[in-house]
Amino acid sequence: MARRHKNRWKFLAVFVLAALLLAAAGTRYLDLAVRERFEGKRFAIPSQVYARALELYPGRKLSTSEMGAELALLGYHETSDAREPGTYRWRGASLEMVTRPVAFGDGRQEAMALRVEFSGSRLSGLFQRGDGKPLDLMRLDPPLIGGIYPGKNEDRVLVKLDQVPQHVIDALIAVEDRRFYTHYGVDPRGIARAIVATASGDGVQGASTLTQQLVKNFYLTADRTLRRKLTEMVMALLLEVHYSKQEILETYFNEVYLGQDGNRAIHGFGLASYFFFDKPLERIGVAEGALLVGMLKGPSQYSPRTQPKRALERRNLVLAQMAQTGSLSEEQLRSEQAAPLGVVSRPPRGTSPYPAFLQLVHRQLQRDYRDEDLRSEGLRIFTTLDPQVQRAAERALNSRLTLLEESRNMKSGLLQGALVVTGTQNAEVQAVVGGRDPRFEGFNRALDAQRPIGSLVKPVVYLTALQQSQRYTLVTRLDDSPLVVTQPGLDDWEPKNNDKEYHGEVPLRRALINSYNVATARLGLALGIPKVMENLRRLGIDRDLPGYASSMLGSNALSPIEVTQVYQTLASGGFRTPLSAIREVLSATGEPLQRYPLKVEQESEGAPVYLLTHALQDVVREGTARSLAEFLPAELAVAGKTGTTDDYRDSWFAGFTGDRLAVVWVGRDDNESTGLSGASGALGVWGEMMAGLDPEPLILPEPENIERVWIDPASGLRSKEGCRDAMELPFIVGSAPTESVPCGSESVGRKIKGLFERMFR
Amino acid sequence: MMIPLRRAAAMAALLFLAGCSVLQPVPGPRTLPSTLPSTPSENTAVVALLQKSRSQSAAGQWEAASASLERALRIEPRNPALWQKLARVRLDQGDYPQAENLAAKSNSLAGSDQRLRAENWRIIGQSRSKRGDRAGAKAAFERAEGE
Repeated sequence: MARRHKNRWKFLAVFVLAALLLAAAGTRYLDLAVRERFEGKRFAIPSQVYARALELYPGRKLSTSEMGAELALLGYHETSDAREPGTYRWRGASLEMVTRPVAFGDGRQEAMALRVEFSGSRLSGLFQRGDGKPLDLMRLDPPLIGGIYPGKNEDRVLVKLDQVPQHVIDALIAVEDRRFYTHYGVDPRGIARAIVATASGDGVQGASTLTQQLVKNFYLTADRTLRRKLTEMVMALLLEVHYSKQEILETYFNEVYLGQDGNRAIHGFGLASYFFFDKPLERIGVAEGALLVGMLKGPSQYSPRTQPKRALERRNLVLAQMAQTGSLSEEQLRSEQAAPLGVVSRPPRGTSPYPAFLQLVHRQLQRDYRDEDLRSEGLRIFTTLDPQVQRAAERALNSRLTLLEESRNMKSGLLQGALVVTGTQNAEVQAVVGGRDPRFEGFNRALDAQRPIGSLVKPVVYLTALQQSQRYTLVTRLDDSPLVVTQPGLDDWEPKNNDKEYHGEVPLRRALINSYNVATARLGLALGIPKVMENLRRLGIDRDLPGYASSMLGSNALSPIEVTQVYQTLASGGFRTPLSAIREVLSATGEPLQRYPLKVEQESEGAPVYLLTHALQDVVREGTARSLAEFLPAELAVAGKTGTTDDYRDSWFAGFTGDRLAVVWVGRDDNESTGLSGASGALGVWGEMMAGLDPEPLILPEPENIERVWIDPASGLRSKEGCRDAMELPFIVGSAPTESVPCGSESVGRKIKGLFERMFR
Repeated sequence: MMIPLRRAAAMAALLFLAGCSVLQPVPGPRTLPSTLPSTPSENTAVVALLQKSRSQSAAGQWEAASASLERALRIEPRNPALWQKLARVRLDQGDYPQAENLAAKSNSLAGSDQRLRAENWRIIGQSRSKRGDRAGAKAAFERAEGE
C-alpha cells in the first residue's frame, strides 16, 4: 500500500514534469510560430516612389489652378487658419500654407509657413509668413505616386508606422484597445469577461487587445474555441515579450482585413486607403481614418459602398470616441461628423495612378539595386515625373483618339497610343503614357511596343549628310527620280513617295521638309547604310539593329522610349544624356544613397545638328507637320517630324519646343492599318498636349562656325537680301555656294518656274 | 445640256479650290532669330542656387554642389553659365571627361558670349592637361586666347 502510494507520487511527479515540459515545448513552439509569422510580415517594407518636388519661386509659370491641383495631389487640407503642416487657405490670389517637413538628398527641409502670391499665370511672390521675409525659392514635399512592393503580385500596400497619420492611430486606440500602451498583450479585464461569458454558455467572446487581434489575423480560420482563445493569449504575451508596441502597431496596420473586392481580400490600411479613397494613407483625413477604423468591427457589415448609412453611423461613433479620449476637440468632432464619407464610387485599378511611369522607374532601379532590396528596404525614390505634364499627356492621348475614332467611324477603343515627354536639355522623363487607360498595369506601349519608325528616321539620314559639310548643305540638290535597289538575297526594293510622284531634283532641305522617300533613300545609300546606322546608334540606340536599304526609310522597329532617346540627342544640340526617371534614392531613414547626376556626351558636332533642327522647324512651318499650326502659334518655332509606316499601320510624331520633347505613337495592338498618317494621328495628340503646357519657343543658339547666306531657292545659288524670293539660310562656314545669280534679272521662264515653286513647294 | 453644266460646275469648283491653294498664305521669308537671352540670370531662384552651389563647392561637397546646379538648370535649362559651373565642379572633382563634355555643352549654348566661351576652353584645356593630353590642352588654351 505504502509502496503503491509512493509509486503514485512518483507517477504524479513524472506526469507534472512531463506536462511542464510539454507546456514549455508547446510555448516554445508557439513562440517560434508567432515570431516566424511576425518577422515574415515585418521586414519587407516597399520602396516609396515620389514625383518631382514642385519648386516655388517668384516668376515661375504656375497658375492658381495648377497650384490647387498640386495641393490636392499632396493631400494638403484647406483649413480656416492654415497653422499646421499640410494645411492651406486661399485669400483671393494669395495662398497661405504650411509645408510638411521633408528629407531631400541635399538635406532636410523643415515645415515652413509661407505666403504665395499669384498674378496671371505666374507665381509672383513668395514670403515667409510671420516676418514677411521674401524667399528666393522653396520646394514643396514631393507627391507620393506609388510603391515597389514585396512579392511580384502581392496585392498589399505596406506602410511604416511613421506614414500612418496620428489621427488614425488615435482612432484605433480609442475604439479597439484604450489600454494598448500599458497592457502586456492581454487585458485581464478582457480575460475575466471571456471566462464569465464562456461559463455562462454565451460562447467564447470578449474584447481582444490589438495584439490578440493581430495574432488572430495570422490564422485564417475564425474558429472560436476556448483552446484557440488560450493559444491566442499565449501568443499575444509572447509577441509583447519580443517586440515593441510600435512594431506591433505597425504590423497590425498592415495585416488587418478591411474588405472584399470580388475574390480579392483587402488587407492592411495602406491598400484600404487606395481601395476606398484612391489616395495613400498618409493623406487621408480624420473622418476618412475614422471610417476605416470603424470598419474593423465588420468590414462587410459596415462597408461604405454597400452599407453607407451604417458605415456613417459607425464612423461618427468612432469620432465620438476619439473626442472622449481627448484626441478631438468638440469643434473638430462636429465638423468631422458633418463630413461626407468621401469614398470613391469605384475602387481604382491598382495602387499607382502612374503605373507606366513606375515601370520605367523600376527598370532604371534594377540596373543598380537587387530586386529584393527594392521590395523590402523601404527606399525613398525621388523621380522626375511631373504630374501636370502627365495629366496633360493622358488627356490629350485619350481625347484625340476618341475624336479620331468618332470622326472616322472606327470602333471605339480600337486605336491605341503611347507617349513620352522629357525635358530637352536634362533628359528627365516628365511623363509616360503606356496606353489609353493610364491606370492599366499591363502592357506598356511606351516602353515595350516595338514598331517601325518610318520617316522618324530621316533626320538621322540628313544629319549624317550634313555632318559632311563639304558635300552636303541645306541646298544641295538631291535626286528624287525613280529608284530600284537590288540587294543580294532580297527582293528588289523600289521606294515610292507618299504622293506617288517623283520630284526630280530637289534641295536637301525640301526633301526633308516634304519627307520625300525616294530622295532620302538615295541619299542614305550614297552615305552608306552602315554609316547612318552607326549614327542612329550614337544618337541613342544601344542595341544592334540590322541595316537594310529600307532602314533609310525607317523599316527598323523601335519603342517610343527608344525614339525619345534619339530625338533627345538632337533636341539638346548633339549632346546625348541618358533618359532618366530618377533623381535620387534615399534610405528609409532619409540618408542619401544614390544620386543620378546629369551627364552629357557629345555625339555630334553642334553645327550639323543646328542645320538639321533648322530644317525640322521648317517641317512644322511649311512641311508635312504644318497642321500643327492648328494647335500652336508659329512663333514657338517647333521642330518636329512626322512618321507613317506601310498601309498606315503606325502614326508617329516626334518634336520639341524650347523646353520639352515629346514622342507620340498611335496605332493598333493587332498591327492592322489605322488609315492614319503621322500628321493625321500622332501629331494631333502632340499638339493638343503641348498646347496645354504653355511651351517655350525654340530659339536656337547659333554655333560659332555658322554663317547666314541669302540663297535663291530656284537655283540654290547665292542671292542677296531684298532680291525676289531670296531666303536666308544657315551654312557651316565655307560650305555655302560660291556662285551667285544676279538680283532682279529674272527671265520670264524663271519667274514662272518660281511662281510654280512657291505654289507647290 | 445637263452634262456640260455639271462639267462647268466641276470646273468652277476646281478653279475655286485652285484659287484657295494659291491664296493660302505661303509663309514669308524666315528671319533667323538672334541668340538666346543673355546670362547671367536675373532669376533670383537661380542666383540663390548658384550661391548655394558655390559654398558647397568651397566646402568640397561636389555632389551637393552639382545637385544645386542641376536644380538651377531645371529652372533655366539653356543657360550656358550654369552648364559651365557644372563643368567646373566636375573638373575640380577630377571627372575630366564630364568636365570637357559639359564645357562643350556650355559652348553650344553660349551664342556670341566670348568671355563665356573663353572660360569653357580654359576648362577644357585644364582638363586635358590633367589627363596628360598636352597637345590637346595647348590647342584649347589657344582657342581660349582667340575668343
